[in-house]
Amino acid sequence: MEPKKAVAAIRERLVALGRGELLPRIARAFSRVAQREMQRNGLVLTLAREKDARVAHKEAKKFLDGMGASAKDLTTRIDETQIGGWRLEGREHLIDASYKKHLIELYRHATNTV
Amino acid sequence: MDSTTVEKIIKEIGKFAPSAESEHTGRVTAVGDGVVAIDGLSKAVLSEIVVFEEGKGKKLAEGMGAQAELYGLILNLEEDGVRATILGDTARVSEGMTVKSTGKILSVPSSEELLGRVVNAMGEPQDGKGPFKKTTLMPIERQAAGVIDRKGVSVPLSTGTKAIDAMIPIGRGQRELIIGDRGTGKTTVAIDAIINQKYETEATRPICIYVAIGQKESKTARIAQQLREQGAMDYTIIVDAPASAPAALQYLAPFAGVAIGEYFMDQGKDVLIVYDDLSKQATAYRQLSLLLRRPPGREAYPGDVFYLHSRLLERSCRLSEEKGGGSITALPIIETQEGDVSGYIPTNVISITDGQMFLVTDLFNKGIRPAIDVGISVSRVGSAAQTKAMKGVAGGIKLELAQFRELEAFMQFASDLDKATADRIESGRRMVEVLKQKNGAPLPLERQVAALYAAGHAFFLDVPVNKVTEVEAAFVDFLDGQYSKTLAAIKKTGQLSEDAKKELNKGMEEFKLAHAELFSSK
Repeated sequence: MEPKKAVAAIRERLVALGRGELLPRIARAFSRVAQREMQRNGLVLTLAREKDARVAHKEAKKFLDGMGASAKDLTTRIDETQIGGWRLEGREHLIDASYKKHLIELYRHATNTV
Repeated sequence: MDSTTVEKIIKEIGKFAPSAESEHTGRVTAVGDGVVAIDGLSKAVLSEIVVFEEGKGKKLAEGMGAQAELYGLILNLEEDGVRATILGDTARVSEGMTVKSTGKILSVPSSEELLGRVVNAMGEPQDGKGPFKKTTLMPIERQAAGVIDRKGVSVPLSTGTKAIDAMIPIGRGQRELIIGDRGTGKTTVAIDAIINQKYETEATRPICIYVAIGQKESKTARIAQQLREQGAMDYTIIVDAPASAPAALQYLAPFAGVAIGEYFMDQGKDVLIVYDDLSKQATAYRQLSLLLRRPPGREAYPGDVFYLHSRLLERSCRLSEEKGGGSITALPIIETQEGDVSGYIPTNVISITDGQMFLVTDLFNKGIRPAIDVGISVSRVGSAAQTKAMKGVAGGIKLELAQFRELEAFMQFASDLDKATADRIESGRRMVEVLKQKNGAPLPLERQVAALYAAGHAFFLDVPVNKVTEVEAAFVDFLDGQYSKTLAAIKKTGQLSEDAKKELNKGMEEFKLAHAELFSSK
């Protein structure tokens, strides 16, 4: 059954049962499931600066094969707090090559908080 | 710093290519009451440590300003994710936070550096004396030694409490439960046992570990202070999971304690560990289990609460010579409600341990301290480890006290007693007085033997009952001064030879002559 027809059938059935008010809630639940699936399967490449995109894509590509993904699956975001470098996250993997991570690690080792 | 150096640094930073490794991650979907639901982490294993990534989206300064890394412990593996408990401040975790797998099972650092220190359930220093330099990581969950690797309990562990060493002796590698209502002196008995180890030689002195579970910080601080003042902190480690700590840390603390103990046991050393107390650990585990949505059983405890304590106490044992001959002696403490020992947790732990000492409120209120009810207290394996000297003087005490208690109850209804009964009652009263002991004043073995030998030879029969404790202390001090060689021989050989008996008899006579005024009860 086509999605459109399926939705119409559910709506009709719910209205017939006097449960039409549930429709917005069902929609929100579907949206949450979709968001969760996207978080689970989506891949986000976060950069500190736009100009790092080329290098970051090149570096990230090495890891994409292992994750069963390709460059077109990537969503690119900018996060200035990273200072430099890049960060690839998704599909239960995290590759953090940001400067911020390394600086914090260095700080923690120096201050014995690790 | 000159401009050339700055330029060099800038150049170096420009060349910096951060290394990148793939980490296995999940995402926090729900958090509350110290428990988090994590989506992902499909390759995680039970009891694995995870790290919460707090710095994402925050500025560098905030990331640096944060405390040490926040860890979690995976306790449930579910179809579409895992549930973990937060080993720290729950407020630091938020929904959507990335959680990184470490691939490591929870371990605690252990080494000689821990002696004299106070650590938390994660093995992190809590006394402000700085971090440990060189430690070995010991897994918190470890299979207990098997039958082949074990040896029978045969070496005594002196607690310094006359009533215990005489009637409920404890051997190295034994698990002896201390059970009683609140305020009956359970902790005191255990702490005295730790303090008493200072009388051991360095070669035979066990490493002591005191695990405070769900206790008030003030109580733990007082205990640490007492141990320090008595010089017992040098060989003691305190593992502290106070009432203010998350339930997960209270549940883990005894396992952390025994893991630290295993480090020393593996080196062939003896360890004495006190779990104060396992009732609170069971309560913390119940809280955690209910939050993890595990099915509740009797009294809402999870089905595996027996296993919780059995797997912990089974790790206390004496290893065979091939395995180094080390041992862990456990003194678990259980708090009862209104003297009810038939509760779920008390009966569980009674069945696991090798004996128990009951502390009773009535005796405590009568001034009999330690308030041990010797009638229902038992040591199942300790008698094999009792020294010959103590066996020789303590043989009939339990029976005498049992008969005294019976006669004492009967005496309330009968006014006219025959001489034999009256004598037995008088003797029993004095024996009860001899067994009394002050808080924080454990007695070395040889002094206990001397006191009990004197009591067994009607030495205190002419002393007024309310003066017995005082006379006994004076008599033992007298022996310490005048017959130190005899006491040293008892300590060295662990036996009460005929010569030693003669010397003690002589000492008793001399003391009586010198202090005739004390012996005039009739």
